[in-house]
Amino acid sequence: KRRRTSDDVNIEDRLDSLITRVGEKSTSSLESNLEGLASVLEADLPNYKDKIVKILCDCVVYLPEKITVYTTLVGLLNAKNYNCGGEFSELLVRNLKEALKTGEFESARMIVRFVADLVNCHVLVASSVLQMFDNFVEVALEDNIPQVRSDWYVNSVLSALPWVGRELFEKKEAELNKLLQTIENYISKRHHIHVPSLRVWASDDPHPQEEYLDCLWAQIKNLRNNKWVEKQISRPYLAFDGVLCDALQHTLPQIIPPSHNDEMKYPIPTVVFRIFDYTDVPEGTVLPGSHAIERYLIEEQINKIIDSNYLERKECAAALLSFPTKNKLPLNYIIIETVFGQLFRLPKAPHLELFYGVILLEVCKLQPSTMPQVLAQATEMLFERLDSMHTICIERFVTWFSYHLSMFQFRWSWDDWSIAVQQDPTSPKARFVHEVLQKILRLSYHQRVMESVPESFHCLLPIKPQPFYKYEQEGAGSLPGTMKAHALMSAIKSRCTPEEAAAILKELPNPMTDDDSSEPVFNPLKIDVFVSTLLYLGSKSFSHSFAALAKFHPLLKSLTETEEAQICLLRTLYEVWKSHQQMLVVLVDKLLRTQVVECSAVANWLFSDEMSQDFISFYMWEIMHSTIKKMSKQVDKLQKDVDEARDKLDAQRRRAADGLDMDGYDDDDVPTPEIIDRMEDKLETALSQQKSLFLIIFQRFIILLTEHLARCESDGIDYNTAWYKWVIERLQQIFLQHHYLVYKYVSTLEELLFTSNVDIHILEIFQQFCSLRS
Amino acid sequence: SRTDQDHLLLLSTTLYVGNLSFYTTEEQIFDLFSRAGDVKRVIMGLDKVRKTPCGFCFVEYYSREDAENAIRYVNGTRLDDRIIRTDWDAGFKEGRQYGRG
Repeated sequence: KRRRTSDDVNIEDRLDSLITRVGEKSTSSLESNLEGLASVLEADLPNYKDKIVKILCDCVVYLPEKITVYTTLVGLLNAKNYNCGGEFSELLVRNLKEALKTGEFESARMIVRFVADLVNCHVLVASSVLQMFDNFVEVALEDNIPQVRSDWYVNSVLSALPWVGRELFEKKEAELNKLLQTIENYISKRHHIHVPSLRVWASDDPHPQEEYLDCLWAQIKNLRNNKWVEKQISRPYLAFDGVLCDALQHTLPQIIPPSHNDEMKYPIPTVVFRIFDYTDVPEGTVLPGSHAIERYLIEEQINKIIDSNYLERKECAAALLSFPTKNKLPLNYIIIETVFGQLFRLPKAPHLELFYGVILLEVCKLQPSTMPQVLAQATEMLFERLDSMHTICIERFVTWFSYHLSMFQFRWSWDDWSIAVQQDPTSPKARFVHEVLQKILRLSYHQRVMESVPESFHCLLPIKPQPFYKYEQEGAGSLPGTMKAHALMSAIKSRCTPEEAAAILKELPNPMTDDDSSEPVFNPLKIDVFVSTLLYLGSKSFSHSFAALAKFHPLLKSLTETEEAQICLLRTLYEVWKSHQQMLVVLVDKLLRTQVVECSAVANWLFSDEMSQDFISFYMWEIMHSTIKKMSKQVDKLQKDVDEARDKLDAQRRRAADGLDMDGYDDDDVPTPEIIDRMEDKLETALSQQKSLFLIIFQRFIILLTEHLARCESDGIDYNTAWYKWVIERLQQIFLQHHYLVYKYVSTLEELLFTSNVDIHILEIFQQFCSLRS
Repeated sequence: SRTDQDHLLLLSTTLYVGNLSFYTTEEQIFDLFSRAGDVKRVIMGLDKVRKTPCGFCFVEYYSREDAENAIRYVNGTRLDDRIIRTDWDAGFKEGRQYGRG
């Protein structure tokens, strides 16, 4: 082998840049650029073939939006150098097999599509690609596999057909028809249990929300009816037909899908999100119908642009707005719809929610004369459709909209939404406006919010946040703790030590003391006096509150050793900061992180009777989800610690076995087996806490919802109230938002909680969740 | 030294935030920056003499990844009607909250 020199490195970098940049904006035509590049590469093939083939294969996966540019280039190279085309195909097939084995399904799908398009460039024989399709579709006939597996294989074939359908139709019509028949049989037999839990809207009016594979199948059927002619894909190879048709073709080797194993995580199904139809867009442009293949192709490309540029918001916006065929399309509408489609995707948006807020700002900035109107129109439509919108999506809508308004001085045509003030406060529209105002309050201040909305909206306005300290209210003199509270306050103000504070509290009687029982485990009066005084003194800002909690941390912990005591503390916190939701969120977070309260205490507190009037308030669920998240982070961290410690010990043992373990070499960090045992115990504890947290949450949901259903039945009223909708969808949210975690407990949940005795309305939610991966 | 400083910046989870309104509160900053990830604390920049906010702060995250998202998505956007700027900071130390008096 030749040695690599710095010249080689330079040439390789140059090749990389030439290849990855072809197809970008240029002064000359794409055809002449491709022709020129093919000649350059041909000259380099003798020395750099491996490198060139590898770069091309990377482009397949990393630059899928330029697929036909690269298939054309590969076609041209193959026409010039048959071996090069062969080696490229070989490497591509190897990559595909690897991606299927390791579960990199999106890369695999892009390779399948590329392989299909190579038929158009006379690199591959059509029948061999059909053979691959047949092998993939056969997965649908396997027994005892999850539907998500066969879905993926069928989807990968369907999503390649727009590229190669016409060619197969012309050359192998009978075989193509057979393939499509198998797919049709499969599509008609699929279960749809998962669909309700993925829908953004419960209603199909005005637009049905189809399951992704059903929709793609309908689009492919349309394409077939149009004789496989579509208007969206640019096909640069057509210009080179004369050269390409003389090229020799390769036969694709057999590609057999690796068999199923339970470890494999196939992509979760989705539903297709639509806000607009052709009547919503201005004249002169045409929005392809929902079953036109063009709609699929455009949406997919917009999604790809977002997914490959989301880290650079300005580049992302620019790339979206320079969409290739933009002049013929109502591009602004398609962009807005696709961005909202990602934001509202269930179970999870693909990127950080904040990203969607920022990308919408950026596209508005680049198209200030047209984009803001389209965005406003979409927002109106979303508002109109709130009644059937899923709670999770309403929450994301609130979070985005409050942010968006804060970027535009909170200006909005609120009067158009006056229906919200006429409706019941638990109705989705009233709730939406109220929650938006709550969020705006966090980003600005009370006076500002007052001034931003019309007076008629003030009934939905939160009250001005301020602490409530009962020991300084009128009539506080008669409360049992007032004297001590005042004494404590002046002691803390004059910088007393935690011991001095404890001494003051010591004299408070315990209201729970009962003559015939033993000593109570905690003193609610002590907790109340101490915590409310501390919070009141720290009420000036988060930092002040944090400092107060930090200074008295050990005392706080000693007063709240049991879960009951912790719930008592949370109750006091709520009494003081009821009017300041953000403060509640931030302080519960702090109390959890400093281990003053445990996750299970927070969950039980949120479900307690005292909190029932806030139960449908969004901040309650902000606390719930951040509690679950913190628990899982703690588990992850302990798991990582254990893994690292074990690795270190193993490494040391290997060194010892190899005779390399010398005195003085020994690393101080190497943990002893005893240390690892202790770490494992900690991990075990955290894991069981996590499990019990989920059990508590689900059990409380079941109790709450069962009571509601029973009450409605005995009263003879419809169970499907506004309250019920909020609550059952919050249950769904726990499943969806933490699906990876909850999935671990599926069998326990099925055995202990979601049994056949549970009301079908509740059980359904569990079954829908289970079917997401089955 | 210069390289130590660069090293600290690469690992930092703290941002320096500038061009704030003097009236913007810790709570407002907390809410906006929490949208990028879990905020550990906000330290308000104070006027050396008057001890009142003077247009900058430090935002510390628990994780580097969240702080990176803040740089990506919060920098150059508005808070309290002002376009705020974020930069990496090598880490807050007591005393640094005092700006020019």
